[in-house]
Amino acid sequence: MSKEEEILEKIKGKFGNNIKDITIKRSRRIFAETDMKYLKEILRYAKDELGFDHISTITGEDLGEELELIYHIAYQNAIELSIKTKIPKENPRIATIVDLYPPAGIYEREVHDLLGVVFEGNPDLSPLLLPDNWPKGVYPLRKDVSLEEIKEIIEKGGEKG
Amino acid sequence: MSGSTIKVIIGPQHPALKEPERFILETEGEYVVDVKVRIGYIHRGIEKAMENRTYLQGLYLSERVCGICSDAHTTCYVQGVEELLGVEPPPRSRFIRVVVAELERIHSHLLWLGIAAHEIGFDTLFMYVWRDREVVMDLLEIVSGNRVHYATNTIGGVRRDLNDEKIHKILKGLKTLEDRVKEYLRMIQKEQTVLKRTVNVGILSKSDAIKYGAVGPTIRASGVKRDVRADDPYAAYDEIPFNVVVEDGCDCLARIMVRGREVLESIHIIREALKKMPGGEIRVRVKPRIPPAEALSRVEAPRGELLYYIRSNGTDKPERCKIRTPTLANIPSLCKMLVGGYIADVPIVLAGIDPCFACMDRVLVIDREKKEAKVWTLDMLRRYGREWYRKR
Repeated sequence: MSKEEEILEKIKGKFGNNIKDITIKRSRRIFAETDMKYLKEILRYAKDELGFDHISTITGEDLGEELELIYHIAYQNAIELSIKTKIPKENPRIATIVDLYPPAGIYEREVHDLLGVVFEGNPDLSPLLLPDNWPKGVYPLRKDVSLEEIKEIIEKGGEKG
Repeated sequence: MSGSTIKVIIGPQHPALKEPERFILETEGEYVVDVKVRIGYIHRGIEKAMENRTYLQGLYLSERVCGICSDAHTTCYVQGVEELLGVEPPPRSRFIRVVVAELERIHSHLLWLGIAAHEIGFDTLFMYVWRDREVVMDLLEIVSGNRVHYATNTIGGVRRDLNDEKIHKILKGLKTLEDRVKEYLRMIQKEQTVLKRTVNVGILSKSDAIKYGAVGPTIRASGVKRDVRADDPYAAYDEIPFNVVVEDGCDCLARIMVRGREVLESIHIIREALKKMPGGEIRVRVKPRIPPAEALSRVEAPRGELLYYIRSNGTDKPERCKIRTPTLANIPSLCKMLVGGYIADVPIVLAGIDPCFACMDRVLVIDREKKEAKVWTLDMLRRYGREWYRKR
């Protein structure tokens, strides 16, 4: 049994139906999906019990009705486990994982800036990438924000001009 | 925080490179007690731009994410797109990718070594190293036609082949570089000018390096053997035996030694790659439209783990292309290194992770009690650091 299969079996055994579509896409790449209420539990298990001690980043994506977050964590810098979870676009809130992975703080700030996800418990969600006077509620990586709209904001010089 | 705390704001003005940063240092006397980071001053929205362009146009955008490790970005990008397509680049192209990637690493590390020398006021070393860096810049130009944007990679392989004449020139240039770098490594370990400013400066312990998610030479200088080339091999790295360079010093000297020794290792990798390189095609033609799929691509850029997550949707444009650069990953560790250190050490510690350092080009000092603000340039901070050490 390869290390990837071993990890997959362990996660399946521990979380059963609470983890969906867990697959080995190729060597060293595992993808899985879960409900946001199990996410932190799975991350904690992966970190403390399986040795996924590095978080590569958090990807945010606009799926239309929902936003998707993908937590990319690594085992011995080799096997990347990407865990996806969906959150409603209307109320995009999810618990922070800074307590588990301290460097996640800066990745959460990035997703907060660009997609408007609020990471509850993150002590610093101040703007990281966008200007201080960027208009509230405009999240550039959302699909409903067009390039023209972004261009207009930039040409105006932000909210206050 | 007591009233005597002073905020020292470093940055953000940054004329050329990708990661301009502003560090707000909370200081007490000569010590840094807290650090806050603000980046994004020239955030160009490349991820959004990629969603609105074809995969081939995206290749040119990825090349322009960074002006120093442009080849690492395109390698990471094309690997992701090739995985989405289910296409294997020809074996010869994978070896050419290794050659260009390692030449780029040599140029990036030498550039950094010069900067590190400059930060500690050792401008003689800076001049020598940058003179020698021209050797590798010439090699990159011979191989690709360019000094900065090599435009070597394309989806499905590489765009330019290597011939015997180019290989001969590369091998000749590598010999010169090898002799020079060996000499620098010998000198650095004995030279007080370097040792006084780097030993036990900017400490990042092994456990903190893992905890704060450091990558690249930064984590390897803290004694952690992690390198994407060895741990998650791509291109032709699984066919070329090489050593992952590790140092246990956990300080700025260890970061210098790791990068210096990595240059020698890169020279070895290039020689092996040129020896083992098979003949044949250098690229395969690919379709412009990609069926729905997703891929996570990683490479070891000169500064560490670089990651692209790409998702296709059946059209000729990606649904999402997420980029995570190594400098961002190293910022939490950098904050850890700065806290508890001297203000005078900020330039060398900041340079230690090899960020796009020019972001420190302006310094603003605010005295909270007097509510006065002074604007410092990086040169002033550097001079302050050198003077402070001279008087000590």
